[in-house]
Parts: sequence; C-alpha cells; structure tokens
Amino acid sequence: MSAKNENPKSEFYHDRVVTALVMLAIVWAVLGMAAGVYVAAELVWPTLDFGEPWLSFGRLRTVHTNVVIFGFGVSALMGTAFYSVQRTCHVPLFLPRLAWFVCIAWQIILLLGGLSLLAGITSGKEYAELEWPFDIAIALVWVCFGIIFFGTIAQRKIKPIYVSNWFYGGLIIVITMIHVVNSLAMPATLFKSYSLFAGAQDAILQWWYGHNAVGFLLTGGFLGMMYYFLPKQAERPIWSYRLSIIAFWAFTYSYIWAGPHHLHYSAIPEWVQSLAVVMSLILLAPSWATMINGIMTVSGAWQKLRTDPALKFIVLSLAFYGLATFEGPMMAIKSVNVVSHFTDWTIGHVHSGALGWNALITFGTFYFLVPRLVGRELYSVRLANIHFWLALAGTMLYVLAMWGAGVSQGLLWLSLDEFGELRYSFRDIMASMPPYYLLRLVAGLIFLSGAILMTFNLFKTISGARTIQVRPPAVRGAGASV
Amino acid sequence: MTFFLFAGDMLVMAFMVVLVVWVFMRSSDETIDEAARIPLEDEQADG
Repeated sequence: MSAKNENPKSEFYHDRVVTALVMLAIVWAVLGMAAGVYVAAELVWPTLDFGEPWLSFGRLRTVHTNVVIFGFGVSALMGTAFYSVQRTCHVPLFLPRLAWFVCIAWQIILLLGGLSLLAGITSGKEYAELEWPFDIAIALVWVCFGIIFFGTIAQRKIKPIYVSNWFYGGLIIVITMIHVVNSLAMPATLFKSYSLFAGAQDAILQWWYGHNAVGFLLTGGFLGMMYYFLPKQAERPIWSYRLSIIAFWAFTYSYIWAGPHHLHYSAIPEWVQSLAVVMSLILLAPSWATMINGIMTVSGAWQKLRTDPALKFIVLSLAFYGLATFEGPMMAIKSVNVVSHFTDWTIGHVHSGALGWNALITFGTFYFLVPRLVGRELYSVRLANIHFWLALAGTMLYVLAMWGAGVSQGLLWLSLDEFGELRYSFRDIMASMPPYYLLRLVAGLIFLSGAILMTFNLFKTISGARTIQVRPPAVRGAGASV
Repeated sequence: MTFFLFAGDMLVMAFMVVLVVWVFMRSSDETIDEAARIPLEDEQADG
C-alpha cells in the first residue's frame, strides 16, 4: 500500500466507492438476515404478523431474499469487482463518477423496491418480484456497471485478463441477458404489469432466469471474488491457473441449461427435464475442480489458518461450496427430486450455499478488505474469531434442521396405506414440523448475531478513518503489454 | 425450434471450450505463471 503524493490523482486506484459499497453491503446483510429471522419466527408463531399485511410471511419473505441477494450480495460483488478489476488491470477505475452513480442508484432501487414489496407490489416471479419500473432501473444500472468494468479492462496495462475478471464479466453479461428477457412485460399501470410469456413457457423462462441468477451471480460472481481474494490472503498464486480458466468455460457451458430441474414432473417437455438432469450432473466437474483449486491454493499456507480469521472464513466457504455443488446435482436427479421437491430440503440446500458459501466468503473478504481500505489493523481479531464459530454453528444447525424437516416431509408425503392412498395429510405433516422450525430460528439467530458482531468490528475499524490512496505498481510485470 | 436452439448453443459453446483449451495449451508455463501472479503484484509496494 502506498500514499505517495507526487503522482497525479488520476494514477491512484479509486477505492472510496469500494469502501462505500462494502459498508452498505454490511448494513443490507444485517437488515436482510433480520428479516429472515423474523419470517423464521413467524413459521413457529404465526400470529407474529399481528394481522398486518406488511408483516405477513409472503411479503417479508420476498424482502428477505431481495435484500440479502441484491442488497448484501450484489453490493459486495460490485465493491469487490471495482476493487479487483483496477488492480488486475494496473489502472484506475474507468469513469469513477459513473461508479458512484451505480453505487447510489443501486441503493435507491433497493430501498424503494423493498418498500414496494412490503406494500404488496410484486410481479410474482421468484427472485424477480420487483415491478417493471424497477426492472428498467435495474437494467440501466447493470449496463452502467458493465461499462465501468469492461472500460477498465479495455484500458488495462497488462496483457492477460486475470481469471476473476472472467467470472465478474460473466456475471455482468449473463445477468443483463436473463434479467431483461425474464422481465419482458406489458405494463397495465405504474405498479402492475403482465408477463409476455404464459404457461409452460413462462415457467421454463422463470427458471432459466432463476437458476442462472444462482449460477452466474451467487456462484460465478462469488467465484470471481474467491479467485482474487484467496490468493491475496494466502499470499500464493492460484494452484492451477489453467484449471481455473477451463473450469470457467465448462461452468458457463453447462449452467445455462440446468434451470428446468426446478420443474421436474411438471407440464414442460420430458426431454427438457432430462437435459437439465444431464447438465446438472456435468456441473459437478467444474464445480469440484474449482473447489479443489481453491483448497490446493491454501496448501502450504495452512499455518495461516491459526491466526488469520479472513482466511478461515474463505477456506470454510470453499468446503460449503463443495457440499452445495454436490448436493445440487444430486437433487436434480428425478428419483431424488421426487423426495426433495416442495420440501424444506430445498430451503436447506439453498442456505448451505447462501450462508455457507456466499456469506462466509464475503465475510472473509470483508475482514481482509476493510482494514486495507483504510490502512488500519482490524479492530478486534478476537471478535472475528468468535464470528467465525457463530457463523459455522449457525450454518450447520440451519442446514441440519432443514435436512431433517425436508427428508421427513418428502418421505411422509410419499407414504401410502394398504389402499394406495396418502397415509398422512399435509396438515399431519406440518403438525410435526415446529421442532425443526424452532431449530432453524435458533440457527438464524446465531448466524445473525455473528453478522452483528462483524458489523460492529468493521465499523469500529473504519470509524474516523479515510480510504487511503493506493497506486498501481510502478514496474509492470513481465507479461505487460506496455 | 427449441431443439434448434439447443443444438446451436451446444455447438457454439463446444467450439468456445475447445478454442480456449487449445489457446491455453499453447501458452507457455511462464506466461501462465505470470497471469496467476497478477493479484500478488498489483499495488505499489513502497508504502
């Protein structure tokens, strides 16, 4: 890190917008997770909605998913993409004022969008609930994000485009494509529109969007984060750079067709379902290649795990990444899906990825990034270590509770009596769920308390400090084009 | 129509994968190592 003053200001990396996005992501994380805990409590004590529509499960649940994915997740991805693309290109950010526009406009969309969901305004499409004015605004901001990112790459001073940029680039291109197509609708009023698609086509399109949002945002985007921040933190290059690039293309090749596994045994064509199974199973190869690549990068630096909470979070996130990307293809197999579909097993699977992979790698990245942004030591390593164990305990308890609930639901649902009729009604099955749901609530509270500790720790780290100025290296690497 | 899209997509993506693998296999170990080290040498080190 450097703070020399003899260079023109334009030669410094633009990191203030990164600091803003990281701190905003932390705020969204706490708000979104708190909403998740509240809806988990509502499943134990349904009267917690107090008869208020805006406190009902249906509205708060969409607020929870939107805030954690688009508030916490996307703000973190924008911040880390801006941070890493400058450094891996050895140039300051392209159009830094546009980056500030992206940062601020995104927060306004989230704030107003969240309020619209609380008011019951929704398009009814999962993970794309916001109505058409927000859809247009999201597309515009996302295109601006792309202009900054690819503009920075275009003016890079070294020849190779580092692998993290391939993943961030894939995130920007694919999310633009699926968001625009999935959101095509005919507006009826300011807050009501009707999709251009109907029936089975609408369903296929919805999960083409839904699963690729998981693929290219929650998986690909965060892999970009991993490929940059893991080598930084481990102080070692990625174990196999060739493998990382091949895995990127294999990942992109197979992910795009996996979405219809959300629609097994439905009215969509049988061959589309079978294709989704095949593509989902193929996905196991690039996913585990990436996990092994990440774990092997830490090989030889294991001693750092004893003292470095950021690296602990990142390595643990890779273990959960391996778990979730093994479980996903298994659940896509139709004979497994017949048990898991429409049960809490799916919720457990989603959260083993969302908590274990997305949240943990972001926490680890933030513990690394925030002190470097302000040129200070982390306020408390002890608090970060406590957070690590709370996050691990919360994730494990959550996943185990939902596995128990989901497998029970699936098997009870398939249970037939001697006349071939359902042995248990839906009501019977749900009556056996409160212990699992209570465990899930406790798990959520544990995870949330860890996130609050992190918030305190990082805000204390940054309190009263300013983002320091850092320059690109004076001497270019041997692979430089200039 | 969907079959046509699927077949076209598979061909294009297979071509891209083969192209990338081919380009990468032709790259020297030195070039790959330099690319892998980018995150480790991306800031002025005198501060």
